[in-house]
Amino acid sequence: MHKTGLAVWMLAACAFAQVKPEDILKSPNADWLTYAGDYRGTRHSPLKQITTANVSSLVPKWVYHVPKASKLEVSPLVHQGVMYITAPNEVRALDARTGRLIWEWKDGRATRSDVNRGAGLLGDSVYVATSDCFLTALNRKTGALLWQKQYADTKKGVFCSSAPFAVKDRVLVGTAGGDTGMRGFVAAMNATTGEEMWKFYTVPAKGEKGSETWGEYVEYGGAATWLSGTYDPELNTLYWTTGNPWPDFYDGDRKGDNLYSCSVVALDVDTGKLKWYFQFTPGDTHDWDGQSWPVLVDREVKGKMRKILLHPNRNGFYYVIDRVTGEFLHATKLNDLVDWASGIDAKGRPIKIPGKDPTPAGNRVCPGVRGGANWMAPTYNPATGMLYVITMEQCDIYTSSAKKPEPMAGFSGGGAGPKPRDAGTFYLRALDAATGKRMWEYPMPGPGVAWSGTVSTAGGVVFVGDDDGQLLALDAKSGKHLWHFQMGEYLFASPITYAVDGKQYVAIASATAVFSFGLFEPVPSVDLVKGAQ
Amino acid sequence: MRTLTLWLMVGSAVMLAQHFQEGDGKKNPAIGNIAAIAAGEKSFNEGCAVCHGQGGMGGRGPNLANGRVMWHTLTEESTYKRIKDGVPSGGMPPTPGSEEKLWQLTAYVVALRAPASEAPQTGDAELGKTIFWGKGGCNECHSVLGKGGKIGPDLSDAGGSRSTAVIRMAIEDPGANGSKGFEKARVLLKNGQALEGVLKNRNNYSLQLLDARGELHLLLMTAVKEMTVSKNSAMPANYKSRLSAKEIDALVAYLAKQTARPMVAGN
Repeated sequence: MHKTGLAVWMLAACAFAQVKPEDILKSPNADWLTYAGDYRGTRHSPLKQITTANVSSLVPKWVYHVPKASKLEVSPLVHQGVMYITAPNEVRALDARTGRLIWEWKDGRATRSDVNRGAGLLGDSVYVATSDCFLTALNRKTGALLWQKQYADTKKGVFCSSAPFAVKDRVLVGTAGGDTGMRGFVAAMNATTGEEMWKFYTVPAKGEKGSETWGEYVEYGGAATWLSGTYDPELNTLYWTTGNPWPDFYDGDRKGDNLYSCSVVALDVDTGKLKWYFQFTPGDTHDWDGQSWPVLVDREVKGKMRKILLHPNRNGFYYVIDRVTGEFLHATKLNDLVDWASGIDAKGRPIKIPGKDPTPAGNRVCPGVRGGANWMAPTYNPATGMLYVITMEQCDIYTSSAKKPEPMAGFSGGGAGPKPRDAGTFYLRALDAATGKRMWEYPMPGPGVAWSGTVSTAGGVVFVGDDDGQLLALDAKSGKHLWHFQMGEYLFASPITYAVDGKQYVAIASATAVFSFGLFEPVPSVDLVKGAQ
Repeated sequence: MRTLTLWLMVGSAVMLAQHFQEGDGKKNPAIGNIAAIAAGEKSFNEGCAVCHGQGGMGGRGPNLANGRVMWHTLTEESTYKRIKDGVPSGGMPPTPGSEEKLWQLTAYVVALRAPASEAPQTGDAELGKTIFWGKGGCNECHSVLGKGGKIGPDLSDAGGSRSTAVIRMAIEDPGANGSKGFEKARVLLKNGQALEGVLKNRNNYSLQLLDARGELHLLLMTAVKEMTVSKNSAMPANYKSRLSAKEIDALVAYLAKQTARPMVAGN
């Protein structure tokens, strides 16, 4: 542009302020600034324009089809009317009111293309991880590249899919890929430069504390950190769940608890130092990651007000843990079909039922390998005190292989899958968060392929994607059906809610597109604007 | 626009060969081979150029040098197949000749789309840097890794995302590829406010405008009274006269060096 041209431009006042950490603390409101909407992982919005009384008139406002997408898993972010969505190695900014594309960024050089679950926001930057683990900072208004830093080596069995998590002056990232031999970690990267500030390995190095709980393959032990974590600013603590030990289905070469796999770890956000850990499934042999993120809630438990952490686990149990100390408070059965353990003892260890490990011939065990719960987003509504979580009632045939482990070669020590008539059924369940008592459930029959999640609102509505390609609205108190919309394809992502110009929207990615819904209003006639054609 | 010359292809072949050896290890030996690319160019200009233009720059048939660069080589087989079998639905006939000749053509077409960062440059990149950030004024609109202007396309990965030919064309003939996403516009709102900037997107019902400060304005057309949209690219069209050939070469060389991230060995 000519200097003279620039000089005569009239500049308009603008309301697009930076995204500050205190804004994220207040999120969600009109904006939705983190993968789970807030730092606590509740996915609960105070927006209440859409209510149990009017949600029946919800209609699609716009659809954005993501070019070449086939399985979107993104949970969109929204800041001041701009929506940020990701696809593998791609980021797009959309006008959240109209669905029109503002900018797009693609990394044509990425050496992998895996699913991507979303972006992070801080300052004037939007952050995304490429599949080959380059943390990427873009100018959130223009999409211009600010920097890229590779934080994990894909040659070591790692790939990256989770949404970067911005806390203070840093961006927290994790790793995927724990099923073929790798070493999981959480890392803090400087939000301005991308330089690594600390790294916490979820599997100890040989000789380090905890390595005695493994065998010789400890440094390939897995414990991937597939999703974003949560954060308590008062305790200055990050909470992050970890994946399964490797080889997934055979523990002959890793007898022991396999720390810190299938656990939640509490880390000092400044240093990455481990404050405490709690392991859900010691020495797991069923690929039961602890992937659903820890939901942070302050509630009375057993007569005492506590800062607690809620976690529906893939192993079929629901856990309540004191997030200050890591003390196990209690666990209850999340699923009806749980036959590998009769319960959880007073210290939080499963009371295992013998004969439930995978075998070479195959052994039917419940829950199935996808778990009683998985990474489908749960939500906690403080008004009802309930946690809403998608669960799967299903069993699988688990097989094992005693073959000598070979890291990064596609070997997982066996496998698991259902009998053809054992596809299972998804349920949305509402639990009393403090006790785990099942308050209501809503069955969602379908082919057993869905990976959608939930969002709840102060309007008393829970939105959830079902197993048949529908977005549902249910009454948060009773589970009563209020509204549904057939999206035309399966859902692998979770809904969010946001507002622009005082109007509330509910958005969700389907397999190939992003939909945004709002209350019905007649579309006004728009006059053609002079000079616009 | 300059035709990509044989010596340039030959010069780049060493680096291209290195790049294309990665992958499944089953590449046809013509891919990245200096002599094969040269032979392919000769065949191309004798036959294919009738439709695709000299140097693949387009004519009756599509421009083959002016698309997204190919960092990965998954499309070599399909490129070969297209050359061999033609594209009947698009009017492209099959190409006769030996398998060797067809692979030479494939090697040439693949090389046309090599990223500029992987191709040798004749210009002085240091001189180009001073032009970009000084005399040329490129930085008033374009950014590199967060520095510079905001209304033009970001050039942080200019060399990694564009071929040499595309970079040169953008400087010498900025309107050639259109200016979608960067149309210069003046918008008068019904409330009397006036905005100027580039249109990231627009239709009859809404517009998304980025002003010179890099701020977004997301507007419904019901709020717009009138607007003026420039038919020309916001980028000056006179660089060919403002800069010498040597300076343009230098600018191309500087931009070719801009790559967003280093290639990780073995990836």
